[in-house]
Amino acid sequence: MRRTIQWTLILAALGVLFSGCETKTTNIDIDNDKGDAVMGLDYRDFQGAAQDMIESLLASGAVDKKNGERYVLVVSRIVNDTMQHIDTDQLVKKIRVGLLQSGKVVVTTAVGLKGAEDEMSMHARETLRGNTEFDQKSVAGKGSMIAPDLSLSGKILQRSIKVDSKTQRVEYYFQMSLTEIKTGLAYWEDERIVAKRGSNKAVSW
Amino acid sequence: MRLIGYIAFLVLLFGGCAKEPQMSDQIVKVISSCGNSDIAVTDIKGRKKSDGFMQAQVIGENRSDNYQLLEYQIIWFDKEGFKIESILSKYNTVPAYANQPFQINAISPNTKATTFRLYIKSQKEVICDEQYNGH
Repeated sequence: MRRTIQWTLILAALGVLFSGCETKTTNIDIDNDKGDAVMGLDYRDFQGAAQDMIESLLASGAVDKKNGERYVLVVSRIVNDTMQHIDTDQLVKKIRVGLLQSGKVVVTTAVGLKGAEDEMSMHARETLRGNTEFDQKSVAGKGSMIAPDLSLSGKILQRSIKVDSKTQRVEYYFQMSLTEIKTGLAYWEDERIVAKRGSNKAVSW
Repeated sequence: MRLIGYIAFLVLLFGGCAKEPQMSDQIVKVISSCGNSDIAVTDIKGRKKSDGFMQAQVIGENRSDNYQLLEYQIIWFDKEGFKIESILSKYNTVPAYANQPFQINAISPNTKATTFRLYIKSQKEVICDEQYNGH
């Protein structure tokens, strides 16, 4: 009897022991995230960079078209020159949304470095044109697409520096340019730096 | 019995690695006046630019002997008083050096903005809440 009680207590204690070390999953309140910083780039860094870039771009007056019309923007290459697997849309999408909401810019998805960003925009036109199943008045005619005026390009760089045997510093550079396609002149450029210091054991990739 | 004692000791020892339950602290304390803390807003103004965007400028003062990295948020409203949703209304940071003035400059997300509201956080608490109503 005494042996049974002992084993019961041992098992109960082991249960408590191992369940105590388990990290509980919680949703992050992204509007009030008090979590510690990480050595890699996280959503807060992208959000901050995008916010600064939009503000800088709108304040510069570079997207203010003289006759009150909106500029047509195409997103060019955003180079990821970091050691992290980053989808650069984490940055670019926020900037696109911000610019679209400004009412000064529209983004074309019919043009891209690797063909149309929205392939359907081209595919639907080509396949439906002349197709007798469709009312041809509702099919986009030739020469109705609008070419972009401006191109947004950029780069995200990373520099890792060993401070001492225990500490490292990682610097991230967000660089962006807005180029007028007609002239090839950059109307706006900016850079934002995010620097982090932490343990050498922390990985930033 | 000695064995049970060892186990109890181990439980207490490793119990420390359990995560503390996080307190819900989404509700921040709002102090209506900006002059009650070390951070004071001394001037707040806005103007409509020729391109239609509204520009906000806030001048404050860090009256403490410590450097503070303040977080601020500007909420923009249209002429009917409705909030304009934008990424530009997320919290941003501004450095406030000891016993020095600091400036916040911001641009509205679109040309419909006519007023704005400013919130400043220090140590994760809202310490300043001011509204610019265009006059």
